[in-house]
Amino acid sequence: MIEFQSVSKQYSADALALSEVSLNIGKGELVYLAGPSGAGKSTLMKMVAAIERPSSGRVIVNGQDLGKLGKAGVPFLRRNLGLIFQHQRLLNDRNILANVMLPLIVTGAPKAQAAERARAALDKVGLLERAKAHPMELSGGEQQRVAIARAIVNRPQIILADEPTANLDRAAADRVIGALHAFHAAGVTCVISSHDEQILDSAARVIRLEQGRLVAGGAA
Amino acid sequence: MNIWFRQHRFAFGAALATIRKAPGSFLFNVLVVAVALALPFAGLTLLDNVRPLSEQLSVDPEISLFMKPGVPREDAQALAPQLRQLLAGSRAKISFVPREEALDSLKTRSGIADVIETLGDNPLPDSYVMKLEGFTTSAARADAARVDLLADHMRQLPGVESVQVDSAWVKRLAALLGVLRLALLLLAATLGVVVIAVVFNTIRLQVLTQKEEIAVSKLLGATDNFIHRPFYYTGALLGLCAGAVALGAVALALRPLNTAIAEFARLYASEFQLAALPPLGVAGLLAISAGLGLVGALLSVQRHLARLK
Repeated sequence: MIEFQSVSKQYSADALALSEVSLNIGKGELVYLAGPSGAGKSTLMKMVAAIERPSSGRVIVNGQDLGKLGKAGVPFLRRNLGLIFQHQRLLNDRNILANVMLPLIVTGAPKAQAAERARAALDKVGLLERAKAHPMELSGGEQQRVAIARAIVNRPQIILADEPTANLDRAAADRVIGALHAFHAAGVTCVISSHDEQILDSAARVIRLEQGRLVAGGAA
Repeated sequence: MNIWFRQHRFAFGAALATIRKAPGSFLFNVLVVAVALALPFAGLTLLDNVRPLSEQLSVDPEISLFMKPGVPREDAQALAPQLRQLLAGSRAKISFVPREEALDSLKTRSGIADVIETLGDNPLPDSYVMKLEGFTTSAARADAARVDLLADHMRQLPGVESVQVDSAWVKRLAALLGVLRLALLLLAATLGVVVIAVVFNTIRLQVLTQKEEIAVSKLLGATDNFIHRPFYYTGALLGLCAGAVALGAVALALRPLNTAIAEFARLYASEFQLAALPPLGVAGLLAISAGLGLVGALLSVQRHLARLK
């Protein structure tokens, strides 16, 4: 489902983010990306979503070589991905229902259908009763669950979660990870970056990066 | 098609929502653009009112033909059939003015009868006066050229000393109208650029304000068109509203102006009044206003969203 073939990313002469990384993530897998800050976890995730392009090597997602993906094809790739960011990136000028509806609205889905599916997604993360609240009215953990609802509302094949528990207390982090595991159980491929060792200890597969190099877990 | 329509409806709704968030700012921008549009709209309204009036003006030119001194009266009169032949294509009134009649007329009109008496001999030649009819300012330029050509032919006739054409003012009027049209066009073009610049800046600020929304939407799979459309609608709406305000202002200004014109026109036994533009003209100007807003938005979005990338 996700394949990296000798992928390197160099931002500048002295900033090598990824070096010759090769890995394979199969369909329906739950994979953790681990490593200290600056290891290249976020860069790797950005490459899967075509936010960054490799300096060399190939990135293949769903059988599609992203090097051959034109600018016009990028939005359609992202519609099959559920992106979760460390800082949620929810829009504060609208309520959480509208935030969760956004991935459907951009595809041209009817508003009523988008609202219905957004409510269902919020229900899955236990926040349906807060649908009319604005992001600023929610706790960090709740905001992250809204971000998860937004990521899954399009029924993506892959969820990419970049440090989703970084700013959360243990209980909130556990709820977020629990929600992601539930989607994995439903057949969604999940790639989660984290340096929370407690979470990583229970993971079936951990891909470890250090200074842009793959040090463990590259093969499925 | 349904998706296309839905996305446009969403974009229009998003543009309205943006306007609702900062109505004061939008209104201020509408007023700035309206001021810029009002001047050319007023000029256009004026030209639109004056054009039919000037087209109906009679500008019949007059050609005066003077015989050489000493040309016998019979020879001078024998020229009449040739002149009629030359003017065969035009409606013309040809009058022969004997030198004696010309002298009498000069004595009567000029008030220098005493001076003329001292001359003893009549210095004036026999002449013809030809009034060409059916000329209008709408075809003034072409008509003036035709009259000049006729005069050239007349100068070749035997015994003719000189030919004077009284069509210069026709040319002047045509030139004046041309200059007015050109001035209005230049004014409209300059103020059009002002409108585009105002909309450009308005949209630039909106793009900056909505930077996060744009970035998130792109990450969620929004196409460039989806991102750009609300800004296009905002620009077009700004132009449209400003156009409507400008047209309204011009229509309001016509009332006091017409009161003043009525006083003036009465002196010339005229009932001339300035009228607002016809519905088709209004629709055209509104479309142009919206178009200018759209162009400003297009330029701004292309420039500033490219920078966000």
